[in-house]
Amino acid sequence: MLRAQLASTLLRARPAATRVAPAFARPSSSAHGQETFESFTERYVNFFQSAQDLFEVQRGLNNCFAHDLVPAPAVVEAAVRAARRVNDYATAVRVFEGVREKVENKQQYQQYLDELKPLREELGINVREELYES
Amino acid sequence: MQALRLARPRLPLRPANRAFAAAASSAHAAAPAASSASPVIPLSNVEAMWERLSADEQLVIHQQLEELQKKDWKTLSIDEKKAAYYVAFGPHGPRAPVSPPGTLPKVIAGVAASIAAAGVIFFSIRATAPAPPRTISKEWEEAANERALEQKSNPIHGISSEGYSGPGFVTHK
Repeated sequence: MLRAQLASTLLRARPAATRVAPAFARPSSSAHGQETFESFTERYVNFFQSAQDLFEVQRGLNNCFAHDLVPAPAVVEAAVRAARRVNDYATAVRVFEGVREKVENKQQYQQYLDELKPLREELGINVREELYES
Repeated sequence: MQALRLARPRLPLRPANRAFAAAASSAHAAAPAASSASPVIPLSNVEAMWERLSADEQLVIHQQLEELQKKDWKTLSIDEKKAAYYVAFGPHGPRAPVSPPGTLPKVIAGVAASIAAAGVIFFSIRATAPAPPRTISKEWEEAANERALEQKSNPIHGISSEGYSGPGFVTHK
């Protein structure tokens, strides 16, 4: 009686055990796909290129700058052009201010400024420091 | 859109809310423009006077800036750019600093003054205190030891016990 019960318990337990095993064998980090920096960049460039109004642009900026990375110059350029499209100069300035907050040091910020200098000159954007310290 | 931001600064608006705000602001926007040729407010020093402007004047500035920013940005003057930036992202409304500038020195000075006052009170009270009682002296305590030995007090573990080597009643060095 007892043995039969034990056997049935074991039998019942067996499928569960076989189900659990593969879960442990699987590498834990691949449960969700990690977005690469390139796909992140592409996603936000597309977003800003299709953003239709100031609210969308600022919403995208909030999301974009909330990640633990500094957006690529391509994203910054797309965001600034989106700001130009919705005619909001302040948001364009704010994008550069956001980059300054996100980078690790002043050299990196300077590199961003140098990289995007043609864009700033094309659109006539002064960054915040130029506005308030000159 | 700029007027929308005035109506509800920096908050994500739900579509219903948004439609309402847009309707409200467009109705609102129509009023001053229709009532008079809206007075042009100089943008040169918006930073200084923004807080003191009435809601209507702020709306007029918003509209002016909105029109300005539609132009080529290279043609804007520095003052216009500063005004646009200040109105949108300057330290007012929800972005006003929690403590106004100059708070830190005040806090440091206040804490230092409080500590100094506490020290003054402490030492002045001690200075006016009466002398300690005459029983708190080495002589008195040694005399108390002698008296205890005389009376064989605490003979098992204490001062009168065999081989006692403690200080007894003496607490002064």
